[in-house]
Amino acid sequence: MSQSGIITSIYKALTKQKALIALLAMMIGMLFSKTNFYSAYNILDMLNSSSILMILAYGVTFTIISGGCDLSIGGNLVVAGILAIKLLDVMPMWLAVMIAILFGAVVGFVNGFLVVHQKTEPFIITLGMGLLLTGIAQQLTDAHPLPAKNPDFMMISNGDFHGIPNLVIIMLTCLAISFWIMRYTQFGRNLYAIGGDYEVARYSGIDVIRTKWMGFVLSGIAASLAGVLLSSKLNTGSPVYGETTALVVNCGVVVGGTSFAGGIGGIPQSGLGLLVFGMLDNVMNMLGITSYYQVLLKGVAIVTIIWLDCFANKRKREAV
Amino acid sequence: MVGRSEMQEKKQIVKSARSILKNYLVLVMIAFLVLITAIVEPKFLSGSNLVNIMRQFGPLVMVSLGMTFVIIGGFIDLSVAGTINLVAVVTISLIQPLGQVPALLIGLLLGIVCGALNSVLILTSGALTQAEALFLTFGMSTIYSAFALLYSHGSTMHFWDISASKSIFEAIGSGNIGFFSVSFVLFLIFLGILWIFQSKTAEGRAIYLTGGNKTAARLSGIGIYRSIVEIYVICGFMAAVGAIVLFSRITTAAPVIGAGYETSAILAVVVGGTTLKGGNGSVLRTVMGVLLVVLISNCLDLLGVSSYMQYAVKGAILMLAIWLDNRKQA
Repeated sequence: MSQSGIITSIYKALTKQKALIALLAMMIGMLFSKTNFYSAYNILDMLNSSSILMILAYGVTFTIISGGCDLSIGGNLVVAGILAIKLLDVMPMWLAVMIAILFGAVVGFVNGFLVVHQKTEPFIITLGMGLLLTGIAQQLTDAHPLPAKNPDFMMISNGDFHGIPNLVIIMLTCLAISFWIMRYTQFGRNLYAIGGDYEVARYSGIDVIRTKWMGFVLSGIAASLAGVLLSSKLNTGSPVYGETTALVVNCGVVVGGTSFAGGIGGIPQSGLGLLVFGMLDNVMNMLGITSYYQVLLKGVAIVTIIWLDCFANKRKREAV
Repeated sequence: MVGRSEMQEKKQIVKSARSILKNYLVLVMIAFLVLITAIVEPKFLSGSNLVNIMRQFGPLVMVSLGMTFVIIGGFIDLSVAGTINLVAVVTISLIQPLGQVPALLIGLLLGIVCGALNSVLILTSGALTQAEALFLTFGMSTIYSAFALLYSHGSTMHFWDISASKSIFEAIGSGNIGFFSVSFVLFLIFLGILWIFQSKTAEGRAIYLTGGNKTAARLSGIGIYRSIVEIYVICGFMAAVGAIVLFSRITTAAPVIGAGYETSAILAVVVGGTTLKGGNGSVLRTVMGVLLVVLISNCLDLLGVSSYMQYAVKGAILMLAIWLDNRKQA
């Protein structure tokens, strides 16, 4: 390939990947600041604090790629976390964690039944499911944080392996597994086909309902896993984290470049999308920006990136 | 022969009963709910409780009426929560320095500006799908909320700190005209205006066509861009009205006052029977939806169900309503 060919392909990749541009811009900007942004400690800390959202994002990507979306993850996250902590009192830890994750799978199954089998509007159904689960979470805890009594449970998220936090390792494992499922299995390729064109996928012999349904189950599993990890990280189960998490994660997936129209995007992109938010938080904290301005800048970042994304879609539509 | 025609008649009756049940499910649910609560808890039908329901009804119905147009137009607006936050803190803070009438007008104008900003973003980016609008307005909601926080420094403002005359707001919050509360009369006025706009004007009909099929609407010479601006401006304006009714009732304005209103409003609109696909629905249906949502809260309160469980019940009802609505279409 000639040199200009490489340059144009890099240019194309960059304009496609707005999340990457945002990340690079922040990293270059931080070169000129007198903070220890580039210390190993800070980088690990940043990854650590965005790990849970990234795990959520990997799950949601399965539903968005196939043309759906999942806004129930916030509720699922908190209920699974609270469930794990409640069950810790009466059973061994591994069983409590397994049951919490099974609960997430059931929630995903119900979402999938309503959205895929009954063909309802995904985002409003999952929004309702989120409300339902948030209510259950508040009822379970009486809206108070619920402390965990088992010290081993706390070590799941707070421990480290040769200096690398466990959460980062779990996040990377999830990344690898979901990347493999999405990229190299028949199931994953079928999800892309369904997102691209539902009818065409159906006529080419893909079991569309089962495949798409399975996507929702995976999203539920990821959400409950994230919930368990969050509870373990805070050592408490609290119902307050469910409120905006779902929108932020779905938004992050779209920021990463997975299109809501379905069929476009991938797991690593979703990770990058959420990393934009994580890095933005980190950078703003480093620069000592007050919390109200942080909210403002986050909003501006969301609007700008989504706006650019929509604008690119429009240009593509008009070009055809 | 006679027996067969009788059978057919019976079938006809069963069929029409079913279609009534399907089409007016919300009304049936409201009747059922009222009946059960009235039997279990006779206090439900007392005058003071009815006034209470009317007051609870006020803010949500205003926001939902605006949201109806956005959903009929095939879009969605999550920014109402941010708009309510911003309008509430700005309006209440301006009563003291500027007087109540300018404060009220500036508040309403701010709502219109917020709505117009949303529509400008959507038009310039060429976002034509609901999902794109969802995330753009979510971002805008964050921005408006941030402005509300910055403006108020995160503090709550109270009526009793204001020494200037605030009679308009007090009337909206707690005044009565005859049996009805002022906020209820305001609701009736807005409902009338919006209903006429929706069903009797060309602009209103254009919104339906835009929601039904944007390309077809554009090709048949309907200004879809104009419709999009209109729906968001109406939604922003009604959110501002809702904000004013809300803080007048509770006499305080915190910069997080509007949290949750976007979901409740969408819930009320959809439960009322306006489909998310756009192109059909009505403000009258939305009123039924809001009535159902408010009655659920009120009935569950009276029956002693915890406020946490009410979230869960709301979510379940939302899912049930959408599911049944979907089966009706299929």
